[in-house]
Amino acid sequence: MRALTYQGPFRVRVEDKPDPIIEHPQDVILRVTRSAICGSDLHLLHGMVPDTRVGHTFGHEFTGEVVELGSEVTQLRKGDRVVVPFNISCGGCFYCQRGLTALCENSNPESDIACGVYGYSHTTGGYDGAQAEYVRVPFADVGPMKIPDGMDDEEALFLGDILPTGYMGAEMGEIKGGESVVVFGAGPVGLFAMRSAWLMGARRVVAVDCVKYRLDFAERYAKVETLDFREVDDVVLFLKDLFDGRGPDVCIDAVGMEASGSRAQRMLGLGLKLQAGAPTVLTWCIEAVRKGGNVSIVGVYGPPWNLMPIGTAMNKGLTLRMNQCNVRRYMPHLMGHIRDGLIDTKGIITHRFPLEQATEAYHLFANKQDGCVKCVLTPQ
Amino acid sequence: MQHTPIPGAAADLDFASRPGVPMEHSPQPLPGARVPILPQRSDVLVFKHVGRARFPPVFGTAQPPRGLSGLLRKQAYRFPDHLARHWLTLMFADRVDVWEHRLRGGLSWGLPVLGVLSLSAWGLRKLTTR
Repeated sequence: MRALTYQGPFRVRVEDKPDPIIEHPQDVILRVTRSAICGSDLHLLHGMVPDTRVGHTFGHEFTGEVVELGSEVTQLRKGDRVVVPFNISCGGCFYCQRGLTALCENSNPESDIACGVYGYSHTTGGYDGAQAEYVRVPFADVGPMKIPDGMDDEEALFLGDILPTGYMGAEMGEIKGGESVVVFGAGPVGLFAMRSAWLMGARRVVAVDCVKYRLDFAERYAKVETLDFREVDDVVLFLKDLFDGRGPDVCIDAVGMEASGSRAQRMLGLGLKLQAGAPTVLTWCIEAVRKGGNVSIVGVYGPPWNLMPIGTAMNKGLTLRMNQCNVRRYMPHLMGHIRDGLIDTKGIITHRFPLEQATEAYHLFANKQDGCVKCVLTPQ
Repeated sequence: MQHTPIPGAAADLDFASRPGVPMEHSPQPLPGARVPILPQRSDVLVFKHVGRARFPPVFGTAQPPRGLSGLLRKQAYRFPDHLARHWLTLMFADRVDVWEHRLRGGLSWGLPVLGVLSLSAWGLRKLTTR
């Protein structure tokens, strides 16, 4: 089959590799119909995720059609169209039984910090991803969700990652109604976090970023106020002033480890690799949020450590909540919101590329060119 | 300026309508879960970090470790993942992996070119020493 493969930092290419096979009785093989490029794929591309091996295929947000079934699979049939959570979760372990499917202990031998994830290095289990023509899907009776007739694949695609991740970001902010919410990062996850904050009853939502077209997009798509942090002297002081001198009730970090905004953090994390990326946004969240407020982290950070002001968080009495999204438990609820027209998922897709042009798609997405918000690959 | 929120605003105001509240629900298997899980069989070398008591029943087999980077990775997985040396050794192995692949790729055209050049030099020397 044809698949995108990692060739080293900043280098990917599409090449031939063997088709995936059924390796466990609970597996299915999918013919991939849509596969998105996620912002977190850029951390892999940039060589930020440990144990990313040459030849690895990225892609953890995808839809597909079932073409082959393991002997124990009972809920799916050949030809079913499904959307798949990025977490590989067994459904029956200590964590899955409590709804924490992102912490499943039956899918990743290589690390204790996360469960198995498609196409996200050997730190998350060494599963090839779906930026390919075919993909192996373990625990097929637990994770994948059938796409209803009448709904096209692109409408359902983001149920696999960014929509539940954005929603969970807002949910972890514990919005009770009437709160002020600041979302750092106007990328796809940030956009869905903004929409979700409104759904949960926020009074005021502000998007912070430094990419002008993305802020304009957020203003149109999520109906939020916007702030380009490069246009203010001190983003923390500006946000405190904006919200009665105290700061917002909730800050959501939808950026993660490759944030702009601090040369020192970028030099230490991205240049010298003395910490795992640049936690600039996390620092801003902790400094800007009001005392007793909530900081929700859905931007991806990695091991082993980061410089962040934990003393400030402690003394301000903050609630910090974070996790990879437990995707499966959000899918039915958010599928309902899509069908009811509360969330226009396809509205964030700005670019579509055939799989053969995946390298160009990565280049465009990584460099934020041509007004790119979300790239979708069409392998078939 | 404040904006008018989206249609459906506050539709999920009630915590009971939010799928992730409470964060941990009372234990129950998810629909489709099958216990016990049959162990996956594979000849591929897959590392287990030392913090795990047992090997999980399902795992990925993409890109088995090989070469010098494989040896480095094997060493890295001897350290538990709460120690920085585990991650730093893996990051180093990743860079070695890239160079190994570049060298291997280079050999596929470099060796024939070297052969042709050597033969040409040998032939030239033969001609000029006659």
